[in-house]
Amino acid sequence: MLDAFFQGAHQVFAFDTLIYMLIGSVAGIVAAAIPGFTVTMAIILTLPLTFAMEPLQGISVMLSVYVGGYTGGLISAALLGIPGTPSSVATTFDAFPMARNGEPGRALSLGVWASFFGTIISTLVLIVAAPPLAVVAVRLGPWEYFSLIVFALTIVASLVGNSLIRGLIAGVIGLGLATIGPDPMMGRPRLTFDMDLLAPGLPFLVVLIGIFAISQLLDEVEIHGKKVNHALIPKSIDFKTWEVMREVLMRPVNLIRSSLVGVVIGALPGAGGSIANLLAYDQAKRSSKTPEKFGQGIADGVVASEAGNSATAGGGLIPLISLGIPGSAVDAILMASLMVHGISVGPRLILDHADLVYGMFIALTVASFMMLVVCVASMRLFLRVTDIPKQFIVPTVMICCVIGAFALNNRMGDLYLLGAIGLVGYILKCLDYPLAPLVLGVILGPIAETNLRRALMSDGDWTVFFTRPISALFLAAAVLSVILSIRSIWKAHKKGNGNKDALV
Amino acid sequence: MLRKIAMAAGLMLAAAAVTPVMAQDYPNKPIEFIVPWGPGGGSDTLMRIVGLGLSEVTGQPVPIINMPGVGGTVGLKEFAKRPADGYTISQIHEGLLTANKTGITDLDWDSFIPVALVASSPQYLTLSKNDNFKNLEELKAYAKANPGKVRAGVTLGGVPHLHMAMIEDALGVQFSYVGFRDTGERIRALVGGNIDIAIGDVSSASEFVKNGDLIFAGVGTEERTAEEPDVPTMKEQGYDLQMAVTRGVVLPKGTPQPIVDKLADDLKKAMSLDDIKTKMKNAGSANVFIGEEDYKAYLEKLDADVTKLVGKLQG
Repeated sequence: MLDAFFQGAHQVFAFDTLIYMLIGSVAGIVAAAIPGFTVTMAIILTLPLTFAMEPLQGISVMLSVYVGGYTGGLISAALLGIPGTPSSVATTFDAFPMARNGEPGRALSLGVWASFFGTIISTLVLIVAAPPLAVVAVRLGPWEYFSLIVFALTIVASLVGNSLIRGLIAGVIGLGLATIGPDPMMGRPRLTFDMDLLAPGLPFLVVLIGIFAISQLLDEVEIHGKKVNHALIPKSIDFKTWEVMREVLMRPVNLIRSSLVGVVIGALPGAGGSIANLLAYDQAKRSSKTPEKFGQGIADGVVASEAGNSATAGGGLIPLISLGIPGSAVDAILMASLMVHGISVGPRLILDHADLVYGMFIALTVASFMMLVVCVASMRLFLRVTDIPKQFIVPTVMICCVIGAFALNNRMGDLYLLGAIGLVGYILKCLDYPLAPLVLGVILGPIAETNLRRALMSDGDWTVFFTRPISALFLAAAVLSVILSIRSIWKAHKKGNGNKDALV
Repeated sequence: MLRKIAMAAGLMLAAAAVTPVMAQDYPNKPIEFIVPWGPGGGSDTLMRIVGLGLSEVTGQPVPIINMPGVGGTVGLKEFAKRPADGYTISQIHEGLLTANKTGITDLDWDSFIPVALVASSPQYLTLSKNDNFKNLEELKAYAKANPGKVRAGVTLGGVPHLHMAMIEDALGVQFSYVGFRDTGERIRALVGGNIDIAIGDVSSASEFVKNGDLIFAGVGTEERTAEEPDVPTMKEQGYDLQMAVTRGVVLPKGTPQPIVDKLADDLKKAMSLDDIKTKMKNAGSANVFIGEEDYKAYLEKLDADVTKLVGKLQG
């Protein structure tokens, strides 16, 4: 065992591997920081390069892109209010207000440290508990997945903003949008009106970019019209790197809970980072003594979201390493790169290729340190982005969004959809509808539908949802979550804090 | 406006393509390879390797363009509109035929020029570890005694559905189908015991078989495969079933014959490179190469088979 460990370490710590990893880390951070460009795209670009590398070297580079990518998304989330990747949606809730309140450096530092610790914690869980966790994860059937999604839908209550009703409407719009296109089981067209444009459905990323980026950019233009001072970053900026590290570590409960949420969601094939950050944020908000401060720039919100999404990196590797089952699209690409080298990824991976597996653990740890160093060293540079006058930054980001939306599936039609959805998002935003529930609906809707139908195809009996213990547990948690939300809303209402809008 | 420019450019390219001079120095610029499926899947991985080989032989880059959607038909629809000059190539497999027969798309294999079959992944009937059956005969007996009880994982309306319908037909039994998106998802459910049987392949399931978690009950090839010499073919068990996912390169209709020939030639050279052969094998494909005419004949036969079974796919 120790032998394999040193063999793995020897390969990862080779000079050329480290250099490639550093490049990968920077590439991942930059790709994720640009709204519209995703980590998956960056990994696909690295895939052909790894064909020519040693297997472990290739995987190490991909892992550093991966880890960098889960962090990079926070940069645009904090500075522009646009999630750079689907996994940094919840980061915008608090990091952006914090940055606007004159603390952009702190917002970035908080996110970077939370990401770092999230990755480290998830790596630890991966090393210690991967095989048993993977066995549980693979046993979960469509019943458990459906119940989990029902539970996840209840977090809409934490995301509604000013009005519960408007939040719920936004969530339902999201669920509705997700039904457009081929149905997830038979591939039959639904609500496409025989239009080529709608035939492939609305890709989730196009919705995300349209809803968040386009509407936010239009908003920026509007504010600019009112001649609001746009130099939002004070000239001398202090990142307080070490102070913020202590600040993050002073929240051990939040940090560990959010990381564990990330690990568990990451380990469930098919869920992934885009849900983990929202769930972690929701859990942090619910257990906070000051839930009303969430959304106004509270450190806990940033920590929860970033620790949650970064922890899915290690979590996603749990089923991959122990069973050869990829936890996400990115893991599937990692697996393909190993396969091309003739390494069969399966339940025997740890036995047959121990050096590779230990090497992956080491590479994940090294990658998170690299991400930390790169981020701390270059944060000042990223902040420069905010010095650029709006008339340059808004069109530039818009162009990136359009390119990103196209690069996703190389379909021209997606761009028209992007424009249309952006407009819808902007209108909803103007009417004070919260946008996060809509995006959540688009993410969760298809997963819920697929698993509901799959469950009923496997067994026509509805009671199975209640008789399978884990499924029943999730459903109970969902009921509890709804009750608690109603209670807290009612309490806030009773306090009579003047916000009569709360229930309407 | 943009469309007009694109059309003009397209016409110019098409006009240029018909001049015979082109074939000799073809290709003299990058060849775009539209893969109508998402990254990380079987088609993507295999075609990236094919692209690598083609690029090595021709000296031109062969960028892979993933254009997924609606069972691979979105990318092919776009591909059909591209200029027929040999600088855009694409890939088809059995899925296009089932999609056509079940009415998902109007495109069919003869909407394109089949150039060469370059990859073939044999498909295995894969069983979960359970108390009721351990091989094909036991499965047949159990399924006969318990109609509709055996849960079979397939991609509804897709190739695995076709293969499973062939087995159902041959055994004279009835399964209940559960839909999954891809082979990886099905094998996962099979390992987790959420379904009982599924169509699998070497790259996604053989490690589980080696580990004793799953059983290969039969392979849909003429002879036993080199990778799994212990797994009997369906044929030797008395059921003459051909089950494979075969992937071939196609060109848009109207591509000049010299270019088709040249591409077929280059592909043949690419597929015989040692490095490419190893990589294809690692990614779960047999080393095959079937040229233009034979590939066409193969598709015609396949077409007849799919037509025969299409009723089962819509049930």
